[in-house]
Amino acid sequence: MASSDWLNIRGWTESIIGWSMDTTHDLLPESVQTEFATIQPALELFFIATIMCTVVFAVMMLTLMVVPYIERKFIGRLMDRIGATTSLRSLWIGEGNATAGDWWNKLPMGLGGPIGFANKKLNQSFGNEHPEETIARVNNRGYHGIWFLFPGFFQALADFMKFATKEHMIPDKADKLVFEVAPVIIISTTIMVFAFVPFGPHIWAANPELSLIFMMAIFGVAPLGVFFAGWASNNKYTLIGGMRSAAQLTAYEIPLLITVLSIAVISGSFNILEIIDFQIETSDTWNIFILPLGAVLFLVTMIAEVERIPFDMPEAEAELVEGWWTEYGGIRWGLMFAGEMMRAYAACILFAMFFLGGWEFPFQDFLSSLPLVGIAFETVFMVIPGLVVVLLKAWILFAFFVWIRASLHRIRTDQILEFGWLYLLPLSIVNLVIATFLRLEVWTDSGWPIWTAPLLTLIAIFFFVIYAIDEDEEALAQSRRPYSTQALSKAYPGNQRKQEVK
Amino acid sequence: MAEMWISMGPQHPMTHGLWTLKVKVDGETVVDTEPDLGYIHRGVEKICEARNFTQITTYCDRLCYASANTWSHAYIYAAEDLLGVEVPERAEYIRLVAVELQRIASHLMWLGAYGPDIGNLTVMVWCLREREMMMDLLQELGGSRMHYNFPRVGGVKRDLPHGFAMRARHKLRLFLDRIQEYEALFDESTIFLIRSQGVGYAKPEEMINHGVSGPNLRAGGVNHDIRTSHPYSVYSELDWAPAVERSSIKGADCYDRYRIRVEEMRQSANLVLQALDKMPGGAETYHEPGDPKILAKAPSRAPEGTSGSHHFEDSRGESMFYLAGGGEGRGKMPYRVSIRSPIFITIPYASKCMIGYKVADIPAIMGSFDPCIGETDR
Repeated sequence: MASSDWLNIRGWTESIIGWSMDTTHDLLPESVQTEFATIQPALELFFIATIMCTVVFAVMMLTLMVVPYIERKFIGRLMDRIGATTSLRSLWIGEGNATAGDWWNKLPMGLGGPIGFANKKLNQSFGNEHPEETIARVNNRGYHGIWFLFPGFFQALADFMKFATKEHMIPDKADKLVFEVAPVIIISTTIMVFAFVPFGPHIWAANPELSLIFMMAIFGVAPLGVFFAGWASNNKYTLIGGMRSAAQLTAYEIPLLITVLSIAVISGSFNILEIIDFQIETSDTWNIFILPLGAVLFLVTMIAEVERIPFDMPEAEAELVEGWWTEYGGIRWGLMFAGEMMRAYAACILFAMFFLGGWEFPFQDFLSSLPLVGIAFETVFMVIPGLVVVLLKAWILFAFFVWIRASLHRIRTDQILEFGWLYLLPLSIVNLVIATFLRLEVWTDSGWPIWTAPLLTLIAIFFFVIYAIDEDEEALAQSRRPYSTQALSKAYPGNQRKQEVK
Repeated sequence: MAEMWISMGPQHPMTHGLWTLKVKVDGETVVDTEPDLGYIHRGVEKICEARNFTQITTYCDRLCYASANTWSHAYIYAAEDLLGVEVPERAEYIRLVAVELQRIASHLMWLGAYGPDIGNLTVMVWCLREREMMMDLLQELGGSRMHYNFPRVGGVKRDLPHGFAMRARHKLRLFLDRIQEYEALFDESTIFLIRSQGVGYAKPEEMINHGVSGPNLRAGGVNHDIRTSHPYSVYSELDWAPAVERSSIKGADCYDRYRIRVEEMRQSANLVLQALDKMPGGAETYHEPGDPKILAKAPSRAPEGTSGSHHFEDSRGESMFYLAGGGEGRGKMPYRVSIRSPIFITIPYASKCMIGYKVADIPAIMGSFDPCIGETDR
């Protein structure tokens, strides 16, 4: 494969296994050697696959810990830009001039002087000149500026330990077999998704010819497990949650698959590695610039697929408590939660694979071709393995997911169905038509014509701006009616009294 | 799917308290509802019969933890009506400041709880952050964070502390800025608009028939605010008019109820700012507790056969206290105390409002009526 880096884990594994197999072959008595030679390729394949699966699983699990960390920290910043405990802090730090301020100066006869002096001294001694540290103390965060410990990073481990040590309970009259099988379906299929996810050009477990189809098929199994779980728990909330999951499935899964199909069309392959290779080498253009609409559709449907706000109706905590999760506890709940994180993580990686050129730096070729600094950039690109680029892209996308979660409300079930069937499905078909047209008519064997990517991107930006600023004033006044509260003329006594005064 | 009854509560995120809403659903559609109240009945009215008029205030504080000051003031006006006390004007202004700050805090609590009801947790953290500022100001007045026990029969416990006016003005101006952030988060979100508009219609005439009052009624376009229709305190001295929503012909939906409360927060902030400016003797002066300028002399016994009552514009609607004097025989205690809780009257109507909507609309509709179970069960 053309796109490559030095972190050739698969190559190393292959050479080590090949060498050890050859050595084993030579060490064996000659009578067995021919027999061993017949099974040697199968053995090599088995060992390589085992090692690569382990490596991919380890990479996935270790980097997954960053995902809840991002979720926790980023949403904390979004929700609480200045500090939830404004009150405590405002006692002496002050905020937007709205502060308790120097109230001691208001005391008569200079009685407040000692208080002001003591406050000043306290501020000097206990670090109040460093507002951030004070906030950390006030908010009872357990660190005081030791940033390199990544405070909160290992919270995920602690949570997992808690879940692992909890008692396992099955509700009375639950369908015990299905109740136990449902988490297994959800978690195993979620982990299986990563079999086809390449973390780098040489870090992947399996690479079948139709890996894209495999992946999407496995991605769609988990809602079935959700439905099982909702039914088997013998709880009305879980039942409604499971039903919602099943109803929602049809609304977003079809647009998702059609969008994925458009990627296969534009890249000319059903293989994930070849799709990335197409973006890096063959066309030298990321798919997001060719198919901006497809990128938006993929992002929206993927958020629905991984059941995050605004599409998390199956587990809507306001009306369904926790939906289909309600009756699960302990390690099953913990693993399903990890599975949910994994699905969100896989969605981010997939977006990076399909639209953001996999392990290519943004504008890698352009930066390398710059006259003076090009060499420096090239060295950097050489040194940093593709793994890091993939992970960074995935994490940034996940931060985007968190941003969406923090700023949007939950949509209603009938509304997602309407949204899916009336908007997503037609748009995804339009997207497929665009992709087919581009591939058949515009694509040349040497790559995209020079105008394709800029023109399509500009069109997308144009439509986005139109969509963003297009506000029908009349419709705003009529149907959306923001700020429509009016103050009527004054009610009887106040009005009258005022007139009497006049 | 066949119809089934779901028992939402007593422990359920939708309830905002401790009660049960039995919902009959047909798939996702609500077919019938049945509220079941009374889980935290404490017998406040009966307890009050064995307390003197000053002690009762503390129980009234605890009627609603989100809006303590309005309840104790609702009681104190009834008590003053019973005992025939003339309250100094400065005390009335201080009470107005306390009540309106409490109204802002209560509405912020509502807005903060309404966000999670429809799936956004960010609003909650933001609103509670601003609520802290109001709590700080109220703490300066009453000395406590939640249950202030601030009013006294005939006046208030203390005068405004040193620098209170300055801090209140600063914080309220900051708060008036911050309201725009909530509006940006809610009004500019299409998902919020489609979740709240056209959902949970409450017709004004039906609300009047059921006795629903306060912001919920004004959201339906009815200009009924006790502060102006039966004015008490010094509300008529200030330049303001109650916010009334221009609702559609079908009645007030969740969006109207959201707008009216945001608008009321603005008005309350402006009322406090005005009251601080107009306060007799100036907001910066300080009188010792018990000074006749903030606390009038009040008799401790009410003659037998007398009664006192007062309408009061609570954060959630029209609250009312009825007190019957016990005379010499019952010492300093009232013979009978009766409380009208606005939400006790609203909840049955709100439960009927959600018939025909989806299961996901239940918290959106119920939350928009701002239920508070402490006062409901009292």
